[in-house]
Amino acid sequence: MNDTEKRLALCFANVFPELSDDQIRRASTASIAAWDSVAHITLLTSIGEEFGIDLDFEEFAEANSFAAVLELVRARSANAGN
Amino acid sequence: MTLNQALALIRSARDSGGEKQPHCLLCGFEPLHLKTLFQAHLLERLPGSAVEIQTGIYGDLPGGLAAAAESSALGAAVVLEWSDFDPRLGLRSSGGWAEHLQSDILASARQRAAHIETSLEKLGRRMPVALAPPNLPLLPLGNTVSAQASVVELELEHLLASFLSRAARLPGVRIVQRNRLDRIPVAERLDAKMELLAGFPYTVPFADLLAASLADVLYQPSPRKGLITDLDDTLWAGIVGEIGVEHVSWHQESHSQTHGLYQQMLGHLAGCGVLLAVCSKNELTTVEQALARPDLFLKSESLFPVCADWEPKSKAVARILRTWNIAEDAVVFIDDSPMELDEVRRAFPGITCRQFHGKDPAKVWQLLGELRDLFGKPLLMEEDRLRQASIRASAQLDEMGDEAASPEFLRSLDGKVTLDWRITPGDKRPLELINKTNQFNLNGLRIGEGEWQRALEDPATVLAVVSYADKFGPLGKVAVALGKAEPDENGVTRLHISHWVMSCRAFSRRLEYHTLEGLFRHTGAAEIVFAFAETEKNKPLRDFLRAAGIAPPAAEVPNAGAAYRLTRDAFYAQNHVLPHETVDVKI
Repeated sequence: MNDTEKRLALCFANVFPELSDDQIRRASTASIAAWDSVAHITLLTSIGEEFGIDLDFEEFAEANSFAAVLELVRARSANAGN
Repeated sequence: MTLNQALALIRSARDSGGEKQPHCLLCGFEPLHLKTLFQAHLLERLPGSAVEIQTGIYGDLPGGLAAAAESSALGAAVVLEWSDFDPRLGLRSSGGWAEHLQSDILASARQRAAHIETSLEKLGRRMPVALAPPNLPLLPLGNTVSAQASVVELELEHLLASFLSRAARLPGVRIVQRNRLDRIPVAERLDAKMELLAGFPYTVPFADLLAASLADVLYQPSPRKGLITDLDDTLWAGIVGEIGVEHVSWHQESHSQTHGLYQQMLGHLAGCGVLLAVCSKNELTTVEQALARPDLFLKSESLFPVCADWEPKSKAVARILRTWNIAEDAVVFIDDSPMELDEVRRAFPGITCRQFHGKDPAKVWQLLGELRDLFGKPLLMEEDRLRQASIRASAQLDEMGDEAASPEFLRSLDGKVTLDWRITPGDKRPLELINKTNQFNLNGLRIGEGEWQRALEDPATVLAVVSYADKFGPLGKVAVALGKAEPDENGVTRLHISHWVMSCRAFSRRLEYHTLEGLFRHTGAAEIVFAFAETEKNKPLRDFLRAAGIAPPAAEVPNAGAAYRLTRDAFYAQNHVLPHETVDVKI
């Protein structure tokens, strides 16, 4: 697991403290009842703070799983690096 | 605190297994990050506990206030924004604010303010409430440029100021100081995007500052009780022993106004019940002459005791602490000399030492602000006014030595002990006594305001609030016993005392025996069980328990944490001297 994934997993763990590491990797809005609109905004704000990136909520509205969020964070971090 | 720090703190506290501490956060908007940050700031102030935050329904502040007033929460934070006074003042409204609507907006705001005030009154009677006034900018209501205030904006500000000054007088309600939030400029508080997207109006840094302020207002540190001040180049400018009584100064015209400001601050603190004493390396007669100058900005009788000699200052500080009978960590020592401060700090590490910089007005201004925070309390009580005089009376008794403890002498005082058995949640003095008394304290356990109010709602609760007055004057409410009277399976009533404290100002008057007699008489209990625990400071209580036959002699104590018991028969068989008239106050 690389550093970005670890840091993202920590954001998820803070917002969904009842999830195990394994559950976090497989988490999606369909599988996690607690992942509602309020949790989604909390999660995105937490991620924005962790990675120092200004997240566009509309862009991330469709990011409905850990894997999808990870992909977007990697893309945004790379863009920020450029 | 960042949002991630708050989330991590909440997560780590999640499995602490601590006692549940429910609190309410009430606002008209979606609480979102404010809820997270408020919970985290409360966890910092209530370590080891399981803080829970209950919120209301979006857009229904009145409903949230009403529900909270019926809840078992221990405290509430109420956060107002302009849209709570009229929805048209919020970003998510489409009602408009054109000039022809403004008189209606003002009328509606007045009506809603009155409604909120009524709800706050009910809430404040059940739990402590921290109330934050609107902190976001108003919509561009005026016809003026933004540099010029418009009439309607001023009308709304006036309405708000009037509402807040009334709310601040409601029992249990405390207003968050608006200028404390000025660390974040108004322009950096509103997150318009988040408000429109999710109904949460604040930037995260502002939500953090607001959450911290709400927690600070709800859970305030114990105020210090006494201030010991130096004289030369501190209370006044100049060395009185060198330049003479007439030439030390503290006035604007003699360029020593910083000392005058300090004197006025001490005068203000004395009025708030803070004990003041002098510790100076000087001749006592010279000091007495200087303190008798009529142009002094504080009453010289506010200063007691006045210690002036050539001994190390730590010795005088020790004498003052004995006279006041308070712990060193309740005291602030102020001197212009770093060397003297260091000498006192080494002898009394618990004392808060501050240097007085008379030639630096900015530092003096900063010191005055710090003194406000060190001595500030939510509410002034009658006992604050009486404290200085009763310390003097106690000192007179101490000078009499053993004679002052004799039954004959105590009877000659014309003392009157009042035992008030009424459950009065609005009276904050008993709670203050429990939370600041160390020496005569059954177990050192403190109680939060909300926990206190919940305890008073229990029908089994017994509360004795003890006041005392004699020919030297009133001491006010000086002792509290809190417990529960419950019958066992045989119908025999036992009184379980969970808290028992008595102010050190009331020592040596046998009020503790009057209290025990009152507890047996009022409750009809066959036995009193004391939830005793030894603390670093409660030796006076332990000595009393032994003297009253409640605890065995020190050498025989098998378990200092054991519950001690006293039966009615054993108490009355001992024929304790009760030297004062006793008056019971009941419903």
